[in-house]
Amino acid sequence: MPGSRAYLWFIGPALILMFLILLLPIGIAGALSVTDYSLGNTSANFVGAENYERIFTRTTYEKMFGATFRYVFVVVPLTVFLGLGAALLIHSLTRFGDLYKTIYFLPVMAALIAMAIVWEFAFHPTIGIINATLERGCGTWLEAWNWYAAGCERTFPLWLTDRDYAIWTVAFIGVWQGFGFNMVLYLAGLTSIPRSLYDAAGMDGAQSGWDRFRLVTWPMLGPTTVFVVTISFIRSFQVFDTVEAFYPQGGGPSKSVYVMMFAIYEKAIQQNLMGIGAAITVVFLGFVMFLTILQRWLVERRTHYV
Amino acid sequence: MKKLTTAMALALLAGPALAEDKIVIEFAYPYSHLFDVTYEKILPKFYEAHPNIEVKMRATYESYEDGTNTILREAVAGTLPDVTMQGLNRQAILVEKGIAKSLEPFIAEEADFAKDGYHKAMLDLGTFDGDVHGLPFSISLPVGYYNMETMAKAGYTTENLPTTWEDVIQACVELKEAGVDNPVFWGWNITGNWFLQALMWSQDKPTVMGTDFTLDEPEGLTALNTMHDIFRGCDMQNLEWKAALASFAAGDVGMMFWSTSAVGAVERSMGDFTLVTNEFPGLTNNGPMGLPAGGNSAMLVSTSEDPAELDAAWKWLKFITSGEGAADVARTTGYMPPNQAANEIILADFYAENPTKATAVRQLPLLREWQAYPGDNGLAATQVIYDALEGIVTGEFDDMEELQQELSEEVQDLLPTGS
Amino acid sequence: MSDLTRSTDRSYAPTDGLVLRFSTREAMKHAVLILGAMVVLLPFYVMVSYSLKAPAEIMQQTGGFLGSQEPFRDDFCIKLGNAVEDCMVNPIVYNYTTAFEKAPLVRYLLNGVIVTVSIFLIQVIVALPCAYALAKLKFWGREAVFGLVLFCLLIPVHAIALPLYIMLAKLGLTNSYAALIIPWTISVFGIFLMRQFFMTVPDDLIDAARMDGMSEYSIVWNVMLPTAIPALMAFGIFSVVAHWNDYFWPRIVITGNRDLFTPPLGLREFKGDADGDNFGPMMATACIIVTPLIVAFLLAQRRFIEGITLSGMK
Repeated sequence: MPGSRAYLWFIGPALILMFLILLLPIGIAGALSVTDYSLGNTSANFVGAENYERIFTRTTYEKMFGATFRYVFVVVPLTVFLGLGAALLIHSLTRFGDLYKTIYFLPVMAALIAMAIVWEFAFHPTIGIINATLERGCGTWLEAWNWYAAGCERTFPLWLTDRDYAIWTVAFIGVWQGFGFNMVLYLAGLTSIPRSLYDAAGMDGAQSGWDRFRLVTWPMLGPTTVFVVTISFIRSFQVFDTVEAFYPQGGGPSKSVYVMMFAIYEKAIQQNLMGIGAAITVVFLGFVMFLTILQRWLVERRTHYV
Repeated sequence: MKKLTTAMALALLAGPALAEDKIVIEFAYPYSHLFDVTYEKILPKFYEAHPNIEVKMRATYESYEDGTNTILREAVAGTLPDVTMQGLNRQAILVEKGIAKSLEPFIAEEADFAKDGYHKAMLDLGTFDGDVHGLPFSISLPVGYYNMETMAKAGYTTENLPTTWEDVIQACVELKEAGVDNPVFWGWNITGNWFLQALMWSQDKPTVMGTDFTLDEPEGLTALNTMHDIFRGCDMQNLEWKAALASFAAGDVGMMFWSTSAVGAVERSMGDFTLVTNEFPGLTNNGPMGLPAGGNSAMLVSTSEDPAELDAAWKWLKFITSGEGAADVARTTGYMPPNQAANEIILADFYAENPTKATAVRQLPLLREWQAYPGDNGLAATQVIYDALEGIVTGEFDDMEELQQELSEEVQDLLPTGS
Repeated sequence: MSDLTRSTDRSYAPTDGLVLRFSTREAMKHAVLILGAMVVLLPFYVMVSYSLKAPAEIMQQTGGFLGSQEPFRDDFCIKLGNAVEDCMVNPIVYNYTTAFEKAPLVRYLLNGVIVTVSIFLIQVIVALPCAYALAKLKFWGREAVFGLVLFCLLIPVHAIALPLYIMLAKLGLTNSYAALIIPWTISVFGIFLMRQFFMTVPDDLIDAARMDGMSEYSIVWNVMLPTAIPALMAFGIFSVVAHWNDYFWPRIVITGNRDLFTPPLGLREFKGDADGDNFGPMMATACIIVTPLIVAFLLAQRRFIEGITLSGMK
């Protein structure tokens, strides 16, 4: 009979650590969310749901939800599809596959602060390489495009400090940084598809690349996709490092990049308002949990497990 | 502190191995890249004067805000250093929470404090509730940076640089006509609402009086209107300040209004043009009536009970803010020491050789406090104001009277009630 | 399982037509991939380029890729009181030597190794048995525990940073290796990943081991671990990269003692705020600290792909 007590020893350490390191602090945060505690104070006062009320009424927090959702719903689909696309392309190459894999995984490996500075320089409104390259196209046929002409006239968008473009610029950088991660996961998924399935599909009349993809590759990648989408969702909800690197103060022009994690950091750590920071944390967890369950339920139903 | 006393106990036990007992004090400061060289210069001189004190350097703070937050965390953890350098507008919060100690007892023991160059205006910067809690170390003031080649396109020379904000707007118009795309950058986004306070102090009005946010008074409206006029009249772009500094260094911007602390960096990285700094313009022809001091000061946060340790900490505090120690600030960074003796005597030649840094020194008589907003929500208030100022730049807010009212209400709401 | 050993045989790749050497299809794929690579590599190009340039060139974006390599004035040396002639330095030399001298970078790299290796080892010791139990052992509450694991995946470190810091402070553990390592000893990502993998291991293998009289404990380490090496490599790569580059937590918890800094904290030595950052050495440092990761990735990525494969994406 399998050791009936053995499992306790196995899950014991993990459970204890999960409790101490993850659940207990969240519990403390939950408790603090109904107080007005500020770091360095000797005591805290109970304020009930006041912090939560603020979150759901003040416009700043409206922007917080807006920024977070915009980011997530741009980054997740793009990183998943680009990751898949890159994986498919690289997987089908005969040479240089390893080189491309390494190149595409580089953004995941680089230290973020340095990358943020480089991107800041690249997106600099006048001397950065992006706008400088765009300027070169002025006076050519590209001006037929209205947006381009408007840019040539005064100046191209300010990108990172531009209220209309900031969140999309940050999302672009998020995609740049994240799709390599998904690519690697998909590459692994692809290598596990047995060739017998392709042979069978071939015999059934599926000749074109698209057919093979539709009938064999995509269904077999189902479980990988579940994992990739779940992890991408969670990671993009938790985006923080890029935002803090570009906007250490304020969360972007007119708070257009004021994502939830940044709001938590701003309130709890920058402004020493632990009470409201904790409240945003609780709301954040609630949201992410709800969305993760929803997404898993939707995707799981369509996933083909072997 | 436990480590310190253990270290000292071990040092005592080591007995004959050591020639004398060294008292170790722990010290932390911000902006490694800026101030490392300053302390490197000061330390040998300090050790010569006080061979039995050792200064142990802790990890540097990334910014003034990081410095304050680190101290707050260390206060909770019980691992405070002995002396810490804090941004001038971040002193208040440490005094409020009882973390920074009063320096009055030490000052009382000094024979002739004023003679060492500590004048009232300087001490005021670190005085709270009548007691001195911090000694200012490095000071900056707002100045105007001018790219003389660009200014020449509109006919400006060093003789007729703008002296009021109206002049500046006029210059903008002329520069734009002469084909300059970005005539000006005005540092509204500098940390701690410094430039808003500059406009208020220019009218001799503090931004905070007790717990009252004074933006709702006429001076507040003038300040907002001035900003609005500059941003619209000059069609100023909403550049992030690092990007703006880079633009100016590359020669793209004609006039820049910023802290004197960037002079060093700009000179190091600028393109081929002539840089001249000039006084910060005022609202009237007489210039500003006051300007907020930027920079940091030294505070005593030691939790030690040992009088010898506290005395050593005081000696360090005093050394770096006076005499040669203070003079090294000007020699190594873009900041100035506020110490009269250091500026007038020791550094006279230095400023003659570095005119771009001398502008700020000429403005020293205008030194005023860089104010913090009281209470737990002080930092949140700073952010609210920052967001509002940004709205003026982007054009989101156009009615200054309406903005004045809304902003005053929102900020006042965050401040504690009562005196 | 035998199908999987054909994983790297490219002639069975899904989108390949004829296997011709320089077919247009291949060429087109390369074209697309190269375009993508250019976008991906742009910041790295800039990063390396800046690490070779003088401050003026960086701020004004001149000098091509290599910079003009003209000697420039080292302001720090001048500030220390030396004459201007003694202080002219060549950009590359200045940037890379400052990177190593200003901050004890070698020490930081060493710390990075100590911290990431310790974290990974402890994570494995904690996660592997737990994953095994969740995958193969039937016990009451198994689904609940797994649900808890998934829930913990959602918890971001920034949200729990302060309570954790205070807890560590009360134990007197701040400013120590323990503070850098302890919060990461539990890796729910690792538990999730390894559980997926273990679920693909056939039960017969385990039953056979049990019949041979092996204890559950020894099954984990002598049966599961060897088969798990590829998945472990995958977990290792993710863990090491994440903790090597972690900036936020070490910054919070290491305040007194510079000697404990991890590599990204070496970059902050060059941040100067109002007076301008010192970009040259900062980029040089960034180049230096990403190199070990690239090397490790190249060495491990073969096993890594196998590892993910076998971790049951099926």
